[in-house]
Amino acid sequence: MVPAAVPADGVEPKASRGDADRHILPTAESPVTIAPAPSAARSLRRRILDRGRDQAVPDRAVLVLHDVTKQYPNGKIALRDVDLVIPEGDFVFLVGPSGAGKSTLIKLLIRDEVATRGAVVLDGQDLARLPRRQVPRMRRKIGIIFQDFKLLPTKTVWENVAFALEVTGYPRRQIRPAVDRVLAIVGLTAQSKQIPAQLSGGEQQRTAIARALVHDPRLIIADEPTGNLDPLISWEILQLLLRINELGVTVLMATHNAEVVTALRKRVVALEEGRIIRDEVGGAYHRED
Amino acid sequence: MLPFLYFSLKRAWQGFWRNAVMSFAATATMVLMLLLLAGFWIIQTGLLAGLQFTEQKVQVVAYLQPNATETQINELAAEIQRRSDVETVDVITRDKALERFRDSMKAQGRTDLTEQLDSNPLFASVEVKLKDAASLRAVTESLAPEEHPIVRNVINIQDLVERLLTVTNILRTVGTGILIGVGLIALFIIVNAIRLAVVARAEEIEIMRLVGASDAFIRWPFVFEGAFVGFLGSVITLAILAGAAEPLNGFMVDFFRVLPLQIGSMTRDLVTLVMGAGVGLGIVGSWVSVRTYLIR
Repeated sequence: MVPAAVPADGVEPKASRGDADRHILPTAESPVTIAPAPSAARSLRRRILDRGRDQAVPDRAVLVLHDVTKQYPNGKIALRDVDLVIPEGDFVFLVGPSGAGKSTLIKLLIRDEVATRGAVVLDGQDLARLPRRQVPRMRRKIGIIFQDFKLLPTKTVWENVAFALEVTGYPRRQIRPAVDRVLAIVGLTAQSKQIPAQLSGGEQQRTAIARALVHDPRLIIADEPTGNLDPLISWEILQLLLRINELGVTVLMATHNAEVVTALRKRVVALEEGRIIRDEVGGAYHRED
Repeated sequence: MLPFLYFSLKRAWQGFWRNAVMSFAATATMVLMLLLLAGFWIIQTGLLAGLQFTEQKVQVVAYLQPNATETQINELAAEIQRRSDVETVDVITRDKALERFRDSMKAQGRTDLTEQLDSNPLFASVEVKLKDAASLRAVTESLAPEEHPIVRNVINIQDLVERLLTVTNILRTVGTGILIGVGLIALFIIVNAIRLAVVARAEEIEIMRLVGASDAFIRWPFVFEGAFVGFLGSVITLAILAGAAEPLNGFMVDFFRVLPLQIGSMTRDLVTLVMGAGVGLGIVGSWVSVRTYLIR
């Protein structure tokens, strides 16, 4: 397995490749931690294999937005004619000023809102046509991470992650191995019995990432995941997301963190006033002309 | 299904205790409302039972001419008995009437002056017990002297009975109205109390939605919790009522005097009412409160 690549060019000194690697998994140093036991990592590994096969076939899109417009009942148009295709395994930054439509876009993806016009197709399913009863099942294909973590304060790290499986009717004997596996991936095995208040911000966000990952999602949506974290911890979280992306999970990350976006040179989709004004692979946070 | 039930019940139990203050606030509200409801119900049932007891005492008494023969009297009794609205017909002969009079004088400890008389001054009569006080007029009319020459007169208690019936009907209608009103107020207050408990866990519900929990998994733990609050509230209410039953009985006996009315006789209905209302309102309250979060 190849460690997350952080290009040296355009990176702040403290976020150099070596530095970032040191922060990615504080409890374990080798990539073995990421896929700890053959059985535990099976599904992710299978996905990596599948991904290899998929690459023979032309890109399979996890997410397709076609001509999407969203107008709220109060008349405000949050998104206009948005076209976006995210292939399987992609890592996409969604950038833009506040009010540009990032949050609305994410709400459409998790079907908290329905597009006024156009199609939002997730994993082959048009969300607007999806019956309400099937929405929960669809949401399990998405792992979502927020700026404010959204952890339950009375539950331990382990319970917070297990909660996502319990409330979706997972068989009880499958919960333990699944939770242990994702906690190993995010490097929180040692902290599994602590409650969120006993954790640092970075550890809380890693708990949230573990919870998002536990359903084995096809797409991780991160809404400002580093917004509440200091720069060093932000890099740590980002490295973790990159690792997860390497394991084959598509990642869409909305952020204001220009430094990170510019440094990583991933695909950047910029929104402004509800329109996509830029979509470039290897882009920076700001337009470079 | 079983894992789902286990999950829901476990979560309901946890939910109740993790938000103990909210849960007890909801339970206390529930107890107050159920006491109010049960109180109104007891008063109404008591009054209606009293009035029904009085209604059953209503009978038509026709006094007969002294010259009426036994055959004529029996024919009249048989004719009246054939009516569908008549329960029983008793023929009181002159001798029996005298006997009764003497007995009642004796029972009251008064001197019986009839012994001084040479003949029996009392009239024979037929006493008609009615199936329903409402048919009083019809039965009275059918016994009128114009219809039956052997009838001397019929005691007319029409006005009295009609007033009684009016009071009963008003009480039944108004009482039911008040009971429904109190029930609705109880519903709103209980729903509100439960809503507060649900709102306190809004974040949890949001997380459940985001990780893809189905509506059933979100809703049923709360519904069970509401049912549990209702059950606990009912048990506490019934315990309070049981404790208050003795003094309440004393009051009722004082108030209604002769009525054969005891809280004990209402126990089954009362338990059904309080349990039904408590658990029912708990379930409805939770259902409505959680619904707000599910419709989106």
